[in-house]
Amino acid sequence: MFILSFLVRRLLQGALIIFLVTLLIFTLLRVVPGDPVRLMAGGMAPEALIEQIATEMGLRDPILVQFGRYMGGVIQGDLGQSFVRPASGASTGGSGFGDSSRGDRAEVLTLIADTLPMTLQLAALAIFFALVFSFLVGVPGGLAPNRWPDRVAFYISSIFISLPNFWLGIVLALLFSVKLGWLPAIGYKGFAYTILPAIVLAVELAPILIRNLTASLASVMQSPFISVGRVRGLGHRRIVYAHALRNASVPLLNLLGIQISGLLGGVLIVEFIFDYPGLGLLTVNAVLQRDFPLIQGIAIVTSAIFVLINIAVDLIATLIDPRLEY
Amino acid sequence: MASQPVLSVRDLSVELRSEGRARRIVSDIGFDLQPRQIVGIIGASGSGKTVLSRALVNWIDPPLAISSGSVTYKSQNILDLPPNRLRPLRKEIAYVGANPMGALDPTLPVGSQIVEKIRALVPGIDTTEARRRVVDLLGAVRIPSPGARFHEYPSQFSGGMMQRALIVDALATNPAFLVADNVTQPLDVTVAAQVMRLMRELTERFDTAVVFVSSSLPTVSEAADQVLVLAEGRIVERQTPRKLVERPEHPYTVQLISEIPQIWTDSAPVVESPARTGRPLIRIEDATRTYRVRKRGTFASFSDVRAVRNVTFDVYPGENFGIVGESGCGKSTLMRLLSRLESPDTGRVVCDGEDIARLSGKALLKFRRDFQLVLQDPFNSLPPRTAIGAIIEGPLKVHGMRGADKRRERVLAVMSEVGLSAALYEELPLGLSAGQRQRVNVARAMVLEPKVLIMDETLSALDQTEQFKLLKLFSDLQARHGLTYIFISHDMAMVRRVCNRVAVMYLGEVVEIAENGKLFFDPGHPYTKALLSAIPTLEERRYRPEECLLEGEPPSPIDLPPGCSFASRCPKAFDRCRVESPSLSVDGKAGMAACFLLEGGPASIAA
Amino acid sequence: MSVAETDMSIAVPIPADERKGVSVSRRIWRAAFASYEFRIGLVIFAVLVLAALLYPWLSGINPTKMNVAGRLQAPWFLGDVWNWAAPLGTDQIGRDMLVRSLVGLRYSLLIGCSTVVLMLIVGCSLGTIAGYYGGKIDLVLMRITDAQLSIPMIILAITVLGVSRPTIPAIILVLGLSSWPVYARVTRSVVMTERKQEYVRAAQVSGASDFRIMALLLAPLVLPPIIFISVLDVARMMIFESVLGFIGLGVQPPTPTFGNIIADGRKYLLNAWWIATMPGVFLCLTLTSINLMGASLERARNRIHGGA
Repeated sequence: MFILSFLVRRLLQGALIIFLVTLLIFTLLRVVPGDPVRLMAGGMAPEALIEQIATEMGLRDPILVQFGRYMGGVIQGDLGQSFVRPASGASTGGSGFGDSSRGDRAEVLTLIADTLPMTLQLAALAIFFALVFSFLVGVPGGLAPNRWPDRVAFYISSIFISLPNFWLGIVLALLFSVKLGWLPAIGYKGFAYTILPAIVLAVELAPILIRNLTASLASVMQSPFISVGRVRGLGHRRIVYAHALRNASVPLLNLLGIQISGLLGGVLIVEFIFDYPGLGLLTVNAVLQRDFPLIQGIAIVTSAIFVLINIAVDLIATLIDPRLEY
Repeated sequence: MASQPVLSVRDLSVELRSEGRARRIVSDIGFDLQPRQIVGIIGASGSGKTVLSRALVNWIDPPLAISSGSVTYKSQNILDLPPNRLRPLRKEIAYVGANPMGALDPTLPVGSQIVEKIRALVPGIDTTEARRRVVDLLGAVRIPSPGARFHEYPSQFSGGMMQRALIVDALATNPAFLVADNVTQPLDVTVAAQVMRLMRELTERFDTAVVFVSSSLPTVSEAADQVLVLAEGRIVERQTPRKLVERPEHPYTVQLISEIPQIWTDSAPVVESPARTGRPLIRIEDATRTYRVRKRGTFASFSDVRAVRNVTFDVYPGENFGIVGESGCGKSTLMRLLSRLESPDTGRVVCDGEDIARLSGKALLKFRRDFQLVLQDPFNSLPPRTAIGAIIEGPLKVHGMRGADKRRERVLAVMSEVGLSAALYEELPLGLSAGQRQRVNVARAMVLEPKVLIMDETLSALDQTEQFKLLKLFSDLQARHGLTYIFISHDMAMVRRVCNRVAVMYLGEVVEIAENGKLFFDPGHPYTKALLSAIPTLEERRYRPEECLLEGEPPSPIDLPPGCSFASRCPKAFDRCRVESPSLSVDGKAGMAACFLLEGGPASIAA
Repeated sequence: MSVAETDMSIAVPIPADERKGVSVSRRIWRAAFASYEFRIGLVIFAVLVLAALLYPWLSGINPTKMNVAGRLQAPWFLGDVWNWAAPLGTDQIGRDMLVRSLVGLRYSLLIGCSTVVLMLIVGCSLGTIAGYYGGKIDLVLMRITDAQLSIPMIILAITVLGVSRPTIPAIILVLGLSSWPVYARVTRSVVMTERKQEYVRAAQVSGASDFRIMALLLAPLVLPPIIFISVLDVARMMIFESVLGFIGLGVQPPTPTFGNIIADGRKYLLNAWWIATMPGVFLCLTLTSINLMGASLERARNRIHGGA
């Protein structure tokens, strides 16, 4: 009963968030200068032709009308069609502007559905690497504030957070792929191609987790129930693993939920560097081609992912700490 | 004393090491604890009693350090034991502290944490057995439906309930001795009285020796076989409680005893009542305030917390009006209504013939000027980054007093009036003591020359000596400026000393309003009797806690039972009380109370 | 409760600073400055900033000047002879890498700092308003921040910049406006707890207006610690700026920025790897120095503010 009402409430809130995101992106795309039709038709096309195409596509209607039409489609699960991509060769790197007659342009939903699993695989591996590494570094740091494990955690996180992902990607690819030949880097021909991009993402994510984990573990260790626990006769190991980590994991979970959108942002760049055929690469190309429907669709999907993951995170957090209420 | 003592402490000293210096907190403590004995340690706040009680169970963390001495249990000095040998001994050494709410992991059920402790200390006991023992004990400390409470989380326990659970936790392994550090201190008086009764009962049943540490001499002297008086970290006197009270030897003890408020004795203060004529200064009419909170685990249903219910009273010029009640009785909400931080849902607050909820603009500013509030917490009520002069000057600026020089002059005048030296004008409040901070608070309120000061627990954070001084200041100010005071407090003794009329609140209602003498000598409401029975005092009690109060705690203001709200704890409740709710009715010429017994219930028929 | 707290105060000594009434922000500053991490960061940062300000001017080298004859020179530590003319080598059209990196650093710092200032102004004011008033205003503002937090800011940024023309003010505006929600949230939560403090109530009772309370009472108390933490965001924003440059949506060539230098160098990765990697080393050093300072400040804040 509790879970059900929680889910209903959060899903409604989530729907509102997604609606706002759509509205935001939609307005931005239409307010900001830059005409997609000009790009589609080519720089040489006469003004009259551009106007004609734009009117046909409904791009000259008032923004509210356009938005209403778009939302109507979204509710029915129709994210529209790409401006530029042909239905047949929906390759992510594709830059061939095929014939732009309406029938054979690619469905946005299909484009996203094709690439999303790749991105999820990449993100999951990255989160796994980041968590393992953060625990290895962060837990000793949190247990020994101001002593060397804490300093190690501090320096590691300060340096990791200073490595721009695109540069790190290039350096790692150069090192492990080109010079050493240990891991493949460019494109995707199997699971091994996920590892290097995932490491880059993990390096981006880990410092934030490490900092949060050391800080919250150190502060939990200061709580009265920890020292009282010692006086009550509980062993050190029990106090740390059964109580301190349990309490410290709640803020970590919440942070992870918030960081999801940061992670997706990182995915964008990393996929671009490694030419990894996921949602990120699709996004970059969509932006460069001013493919409005595709950008909108991606925004909706990413914010939906964000919303769902955060609901899951909050649900887990409530299970760990019953005081929390959402 | 033929038997071997359970615990013997010799030359124990603890010091605080910081910034390269060491300061003694506790010095040269020595005493023995005999089996089944209760040794009381009494000391004011800051006397080092918490540090001492922690040292007794070897719980001293940096920057504190034990500088010398021994605590011998079973012929080993527990201060020297390495952690791995000390840990098994925790089975026999138990400790209960003053802060029950933080003592257990908030994310796990209370019961399973006690089981966890038993299993960690008693090898070979299985979970079912341990669980059964915990449920039994929870029942023994009179926690209602222990089987269900076992699975609840610390945040679902009230303070009193949690303290009971921790007593269970301490006694669950049959310890040889128990250190109880100020266990009743955070609790409401009526609940504290229950917990004390329970402690005595259980330690007898389990054969546990107790070191009972408290800041309240009445509490200690009721509980202990022997009392040690701790002042500035040293034991200055040791006596049996009776001797200590009758013939204190050390000047500190003498002073301590003299500061214990007198309630019913001849030397108790008499508070003059001004004539209640003319128009009341402020009148609260049938005011009700309800908060809506979302019901846990529901989608859109709310429940009503009825914080203040149908409260009516008048305050006349020159009065010292007291509002007393325990935590959660609605007195803070009432304060917010009176000072127009909030408005009542129904009913009104009338001042100068006008409903203050309707005031705005100039008229509101005028009201603000006349009604000032002095708040409870000396540490949170002052903005930490503002100089004292500027804090006091703030209201003047708001009320549009022109001229920096004039304002400064006024501020300095008020500062000297409340006893703050002019040198503090540029200082930040950080270095001030609680008493000085409250003076700043009073000055900030006084600077506008108000007619009424509402004192919200203004004195409760201060020790007795400081309280005396501020009360003196209040009466001086009253004499000079013709002020009216409204004291909101949980401290019956303080109210006895200063208020001429008192309203007693329980669960959002005023259950009794009476003149001082009437309230303390002939209370009309059973709850007032219960409150009086729980006042910590050395006097012969007029009302015994055993007779005045049933076990249990106030019901939640969310699900109010029908009938009289006190019925669930009232020893005199009868059938009608559980159906109908009594309203305030005249009780003699000096008071009103809301109880059916006054209008001819069974008791008065029998009488 | 309060008596218990005074009892605890024996166990936890009040630091001398606090007794003397030294302000929280100054204590944070002092504590951070006392740590090695902060000093290391400060020294590196100072050296880099001085170099960025002085070297291009002192050496008189034009960062955009081509020199096809001297293209793809190796840095000093790789070549057979010491190459003092271009210590970090040259790029594919012979431009001096050291000067280009240092000029890139200038733009990076300029954009990073201005963005953070913008974020602070927008985020803190909206957060203060939401936290102070609560209710509907809070609800609306928080839903907007939720929405913004739920899409990666980089998507927002590249969408806007990809469709319009990236200029320096546009970049600052876009980065600042797409990342203020974090500040709004932090400020809001601090203001919400602070608003319940009794001194705020005291000010209300004395008749102070809401604006007065927010601007004169709450802001000076709430903001300095948040501003300290924003140092970390300077580094974050510099990364975003370079990311934008890398995908061609940053400050446009020929102006050198870390992003566009690295993007160019990527094409020559196999025969002149230093073009893509060396500017990155500069960027990383700068970021590390800023992060060391920022993290020391944050840590000092947690220690001092948590206890105050």
